[in-house]
Amino acid sequence: MVGTVRAARHRALAGASFTAGLAVGAAAMFGALGLLGALLEPGRWFLIGAAVLAGVAVLADLAGLRVRPQVHFQVPEPWRRTMPLPRALFLYGLLLGTGLMTFVPAAAAWALLPLTVAAGFPGAIAVGLSFAAGRALPVLLMRDETALAERPQGLRALRVLAAASLVLALAAGEARAATRVVLRGGDPSAAGTDLVWQEPGIGGVLLRDGGQTRLPGSDPALGDTRIAWHVGPEVTIANSLNLQPVLQLAIPGVEKLAVSDTWLVYRVGLASGREQLRGFAFADPTHTIAISASQKRGTLGRPSLSADTVLYHVAGPGGSTLFLFDLATGKRIRLRSSTHSQLLNPDRVGSKLLYVRLSRCDQELRLGPLVGNGAGRLLYKLPPLAGQDAGHERGHTSQGEHLPCTRPPKPTSRMLWTTALSGTTAYVTVLRPGSGGAMTPSLLSISR
Amino acid sequence: MSGTGVVAAALRAQQAEAFHFCGHIYTTGSCPHPIGLPRIDRDGFPLRASDGHPVDDLGRLVDKLDRPVDAQGNLLRDPDGNPLPPAPRTRICEVAAREHGFRPYFDGSWYRCCGGHVRQLRDCCGYTRRRINGDAALTGYCYHGRHVFCVMYYDSKVKC
Repeated sequence: MVGTVRAARHRALAGASFTAGLAVGAAAMFGALGLLGALLEPGRWFLIGAAVLAGVAVLADLAGLRVRPQVHFQVPEPWRRTMPLPRALFLYGLLLGTGLMTFVPAAAAWALLPLTVAAGFPGAIAVGLSFAAGRALPVLLMRDETALAERPQGLRALRVLAAASLVLALAAGEARAATRVVLRGGDPSAAGTDLVWQEPGIGGVLLRDGGQTRLPGSDPALGDTRIAWHVGPEVTIANSLNLQPVLQLAIPGVEKLAVSDTWLVYRVGLASGREQLRGFAFADPTHTIAISASQKRGTLGRPSLSADTVLYHVAGPGGSTLFLFDLATGKRIRLRSSTHSQLLNPDRVGSKLLYVRLSRCDQELRLGPLVGNGAGRLLYKLPPLAGQDAGHERGHTSQGEHLPCTRPPKPTSRMLWTTALSGTTAYVTVLRPGSGGAMTPSLLSISR
Repeated sequence: MSGTGVVAAALRAQQAEAFHFCGHIYTTGSCPHPIGLPRIDRDGFPLRASDGHPVDDLGRLVDKLDRPVDAQGNLLRDPDGNPLPPAPRTRICEVAAREHGFRPYFDGSWYRCCGGHVRQLRDCCGYTRRRINGDAALTGYCYHGRHVFCVMYYDSKVKC
């Protein structure tokens, strides 16, 4: 292929045609694999299998073992003589971009295919374009391919490079996966690189520069340059840098807090079994704004605050809705709502909205646009909270059965709950069942 | 043959003809149900077929107030002790109607003996020419020009 490109009268045009063909072929092939992954949603065991296969391929490439299997189909050589060279090179690129035509030089190429299925769509397109770039560069940069053929160590170096790329891809994939921040803790709140959470029965914790600081109160919240916590009804708003209090006041029944440079928003549980979301500006703490109210506990979520806007959910038997309330204008906007799934505990950074969506067939942490109906990008997923039966009774046929999920779900008792969003990271509380119906939280972080 | 024997033989014959659940002798499919088998309570809300426990639209077990509970019946609570928010619990015929764009009607029903109890088999009716299977809908126990879109059942406590 090197010789064919270099033989062209317009070498740049030939190289561009070949590269374009590679890009289109690789995007189509790897994109199709990604779409397959998005449709089939491969489970944990497929991911583990793909990672194991990738590890074996890396070892095989590093050891220089013979690459098996090989593909016997080769690109049609007569094309370079029977059609204009740029067109022939584009078609060659198209075929080589699939990764399955002609000699497969590294085991990593095979291992990339199941990993691409696992990557899903549109991540697979990025994998395909990287593959195309990796295939195009040697052809465009080398002067003579026979040099490579005569010096096996050159091919060996390429295989080591392919293995290194695969390791990097695996590491990047691992970085994208969820990592546990704390085993016992939840209700996160983030600002910049700082993170706070609540440790059940103990109190708030601040994570800053890798070090943890125990806060002198519970249900901590971070926002702009402020941090807030409470001890019983006594609420403290402090400077987040030095934790020096700037305002302290008593709010009977206070439960959850959200804070910014100018506002404090909180949820209160009332003795009558009701709950309310309220807020006030630091400029006038005596003037309380009622944001939302519910007749039953557990209906209003944990509020989050960004500049002048409060985000919260209202969830009940009629469905669930994510709201945005503008404290400055008193205007309320319905961001998302659903009557068949639960949308819970939103947070935002700028125009991005993070929220939990519990549906019949899975639980999802989604990052999407603040306004609009788009469901957004899936950041993390858990199986659903309930399984399904056979759809038909024993001894009867399956004719006419109607199952809720396309694949039989493996239910989990873990449940996605509160969220927090920073510029680079999304956080989500995962509740695990304890004794007597009580749920224990743990905190995960997912790179955005 | 005694009278009891005749009834038993008739019921056996019915069961032998049944399709995906006992007593259903036609081909119309189940209404969408969060667990699978279209078992409902007398008001049309979904129950888990295996034990008759009420479930919400997410398939979770719920108590009488439709609040999610664990397998022992304990109310599920968040780490602060508040009950987890209840999810919608929708009549499965209404779910079918919402998903397929028709107004639901409960017109008629018929009864069979299944598992030692009288089972009421109900048609989810509507002004629709298509049924959940995708082909032409049957009249079944629907009236005034309505057709059967999907089927469901209610297991009574009456022994048979």
